Amino acid sequence: MSASGTIEGAAHREPHAPEATIGRKPDYLHAESTLRSWFFTTDHKRIALLYLASITGFFVIGALAAGVVRLALVVPNGAIMTNDTYNKAFTIHGVVMVWFFLIPSIPATFGNFLIPLMIGAKDLAFPKLNLTSWYVFMTGALFTLVSVVLGGVDTGWTFYAPLSTAFSNTWVLPALIGVTIVGFSSILTGLNFVVTIHTMRAPGMTWFKLPIFVWTHYATSLIFLLATPVITTALILLIAERAFHVGVFDPAYGGDPVLFQHLFWFYSHPAVYIMVLPGMGVISEIVPAFARKKLFGYRFVAYASIGLASVTFFVWGHHMFINGQSDLASLVFSALSFAVAVPSAVKVYNWTATIHKGSLRLDTPMLYAMGYIGLFVLGGLTGLYLATLAINQHIHATYFVVAHFHYIMVGGTVLAFLGGLHFWWPKFTGRMYSEPWGRVSAILIFLGFNVTFFPQFILGYLGMPRRYATYPPEFQLLNVLSSAGATILAAGYIFPMLYLVYSLWFGRKAPANPWDAKGLEWETSSPPPTLNFVSPPEVPRIPYDYPIQATESKDQHR
Amino acid sequence: MTPDHAALQLWPVAASASAVEADELILAFTVLTLVLTVPVFIAITWFALRYREGSEADRSPSGIRSNLIEISWMLIPFLLTLVFFVWGARLFVDSKNPPPDAMVVEVIGRQWMWKFQHPTGQSEINNLHLPIGQPIKLRIISQDVIHALYLPAVRMQVAALPDRYTEMWFKADKVGTFHLYCSEYCGSDHSVMGGKLTLMNPGDYQDWLVHAGAQQGVVAAGRALYEAYGCASCHEPGSPVKAPSLAGLYGSRVALADGRNVVADDEWLRQKILNPNGDKLAGGGKQVMPSFAGRIPEDELNKIVDFIKAYPRPGQSAEATR
Amino acid sequence: MSEGLAKGVGVARAHHFESVAQQREATTLGIWAWLITELLLFSALFLVALILRIQHPEATVAAARHLKFWIGAANTVVLICSSLTMSMAIEFSRMGWQRAMVRAMLATAALGTLFLVLKGYEYYADWDEHMMPFLSSRPFALEETPAARLFVNLYYVATMLHAVHLFTGITLLLGMTWMAAKAGFLSRHQNWIEIYGLYWHFIDLVWILAFPILYVVNRGT
Repeated sequence: MSASGTIEGAAHREPHAPEATIGRKPDYLHAESTLRSWFFTTDHKRIALLYLASITGFFVIGALAAGVVRLALVVPNGAIMTNDTYNKAFTIHGVVMVWFFLIPSIPATFGNFLIPLMIGAKDLAFPKLNLTSWYVFMTGALFTLVSVVLGGVDTGWTFYAPLSTAFSNTWVLPALIGVTIVGFSSILTGLNFVVTIHTMRAPGMTWFKLPIFVWTHYATSLIFLLATPVITTALILLIAERAFHVGVFDPAYGGDPVLFQHLFWFYSHPAVYIMVLPGMGVISEIVPAFARKKLFGYRFVAYASIGLASVTFFVWGHHMFINGQSDLASLVFSALSFAVAVPSAVKVYNWTATIHKGSLRLDTPMLYAMGYIGLFVLGGLTGLYLATLAINQHIHATYFVVAHFHYIMVGGTVLAFLGGLHFWWPKFTGRMYSEPWGRVSAILIFLGFNVTFFPQFILGYLGMPRRYATYPPEFQLLNVLSSAGATILAAGYIFPMLYLVYSLWFGRKAPANPWDAKGLEWETSSPPPTLNFVSPPEVPRIPYDYPIQATESKDQHR
Repeated sequence: MTPDHAALQLWPVAASASAVEADELILAFTVLTLVLTVPVFIAITWFALRYREGSEADRSPSGIRSNLIEISWMLIPFLLTLVFFVWGARLFVDSKNPPPDAMVVEVIGRQWMWKFQHPTGQSEINNLHLPIGQPIKLRIISQDVIHALYLPAVRMQVAALPDRYTEMWFKADKVGTFHLYCSEYCGSDHSVMGGKLTLMNPGDYQDWLVHAGAQQGVVAAGRALYEAYGCASCHEPGSPVKAPSLAGLYGSRVALADGRNVVADDEWLRQKILNPNGDKLAGGGKQVMPSFAGRIPEDELNKIVDFIKAYPRPGQSAEATR
Repeated sequence: MSEGLAKGVGVARAHHFESVAQQREATTLGIWAWLITELLLFSALFLVALILRIQHPEATVAAARHLKFWIGAANTVVLICSSLTMSMAIEFSRMGWQRAMVRAMLATAALGTLFLVLKGYEYYADWDEHMMPFLSSRPFALEETPAARLFVNLYYVATMLHAVHLFTGITLLLGMTWMAAKAGFLSRHQNWIEIYGLYWHFIDLVWILAFPILYVVNRGT
């Protein structure tokens, strides 16, 4: 998925078929082809591809680290690698996947590419800032990669003090600096989205005509703006603590190590919704398009996005039930965490209701979307297990937690990412991917994922703690099963990388709207021209104006 | 029990009544999960087959008021799950309130070992022997990073923090040998920071105590430290500095300069030793005691606190602590 | 906002905006969103300072007594004056008085620099009094109260973060003054001055919060 490959390979193909091309300029991929035109572009679509190439690279690094972890756990006694190597492998996996893949994944690529198209704008409000955010992101990434190259980090992605400040002998500082810098890139992206959605909508594009994808990105951007500064402060204090022994998190001077956990989770729990909400937006686009039916309960789904983004700021304490937090605080955080179930249920049931009485096509994006719904439901409900105080005391910090958040992060976000990638691939590149290969990979990933992570629920309940390089022998069978599943999952990831790249050169040319989908991004050519629309797009009367209408309030009927 | 073969095990052994209750809770929750998810899975699969493109299905609007549906699927699952919040919270509150007669075992975590000290003074590393049928309270602290003591057989874990005590209590009812882990990632050898929890009949436990630890009693050890750190030179009756007497201090109410009254419990004594400038005492005496933060290792501090606990009340023989 | 502008003063539309009004709306919302995140960044630090104050009141007071109250107070006045000159620059830019605007901007930068100089002197005085506990080579004056170290270090983190913001602000301001001195600037980029003004006022606001939280409330017992 290299960005430069896209232009070079596509440069010699013939111009587009002349559908609606009076006075037509070349599309954004062909407008210019120098390296400079890519690395100094201010076109949101090109910046999205820069991000896509970078996060794909990080996904590969994170996945390789996960492979190392699963390899080590094939035997219980740690015979394959030392404990330190194992600890570094899971730390790299966590740091890279969370900070450099999951958080930017959907917003910085699809959000960047699609928000202006979906609202009928020529670009994001601040194109130069958008490019800056990519450079900031890469600078942060560079610091973190330096720490990996020098010898790695072994603190876990959560960087808990005082382990990370006073006890770890690994390259913690560059990793911390990298993560701090990446936070600014998130803030800049979120700021750009908020301003764009507020001020750049085409005439007639009112809030309740916006696709759910835009709503979820709006909610995500609010979290970027309101939560990221707090983790930046926490990380600055952590850096100062490690470099200069400031003492704020150091009990030797009366500091409080749990304070770091509060600051950390005040951001990092909302960050879960930074990773989840954009995926929900993707699914809300795919499901109606492939059911040929209006999204059921549009307003409820839109409000649920804002609801999730709001309630997520008040539940961070559920990460600290066993960490000496007061019992009253634990009770309150537990109760609030159950409230997250409400907006989540709204989403899941509305997607299901959209499929009801639809006219379904089970193409690759839809397969991913259906897999997403199933896995997200399981991931979400097991989250309630963890929010239940008496259960949490047993499965906190066991493999149950690992399974739970992988169901949300991989079963949720990664499947939504892949579904969206297939759905909008024709729009991004102007080429169609191979549908049979797409379906095979989607099914492989679904199966491989479940074989990898379902056994981890059982392991967790049996009491296997997470982040263990060695473990009691009776857990070996389930661990081997999990590692076997990981190889299926790996195959499922490799196929799309191959056939998608292949399609850049040899794929069938894509029409403007290959799925017959609704939404302004399908009104323009594939790939779109540099300023997105040749003539100002016409905003539809209602969102998701598909042939089959759900029974909602009467005034929205055809 | 820990089977040492690689058989597929599907349910962990429960060694206490509260562990059984936690199991019942999770089983009931699993039933609810199935009730909430299976319809979605079946519906998606069924719709995907029935309403696939080109099939002859009825696609006429079903005419159901959507607001009603929306509100019902917002609230019904939420209220059903709230039952589990209440259930879980009740068990949690029970697990936080130890009975007063609980036997207290001191637990110290450090990279990468656990140290357990029995009320009679015997201590052991990584393995823990306890009697069944008797409430046990573990008082936990760390000497370096954050650890967590995890005993899956009683379905409990609690963090070991470097700056304050945490507690865990349970009443085991099953004899056997079970796992004991550190569950908060703590560096290189995190995965080997653990051992075995051995639950025994009270008689066997007494035998074990006699045979395992013929070490010095903990209170006597505390007294030695009390003298070694120079506490005695001010706090012993008759010393030139008129430091407050420690006799009968433990568990009594102490008046503070700011008007508050506090109970001199383990945590307060510990803080007062580490940070004597905090919680100034009523009576206007000048505070001259130096801070011991960073100077006394945790296990020794525990022994000193235990010594203060056992310090004879006025009129009792001082011999009681020797 | 455009109604109060003199003739020949305005904003050139960038290619991706539909109208100047949209562009103004976007840039204003953008700077406010940025300032909110910046405010949260500092708020988290101030929150930690207040937590320290609650957890270790006596040590915090002992440490805060060593802060140079009068330098802090003088710096507060300096920054308030700089906000005034910045407001004047904005007003001049609206009226199209380019030379006066440039002078007001230079005065603002000068006051900002004066703040940094005073702050630097304060740091020197702290160093002289052994009030830099993060320097391992220099024993801390309040070694016997370990928690004092927390407050003093937090004071450095907070004030240095503020100083970095101010330094960035002065650099940007000088760069913009250089551009703003050229002919035609006000007809194309008048809104830069307005937006930058908000950022400058924000830096001032952070100090106005920091001064009582660090210097004033911890003085009494």
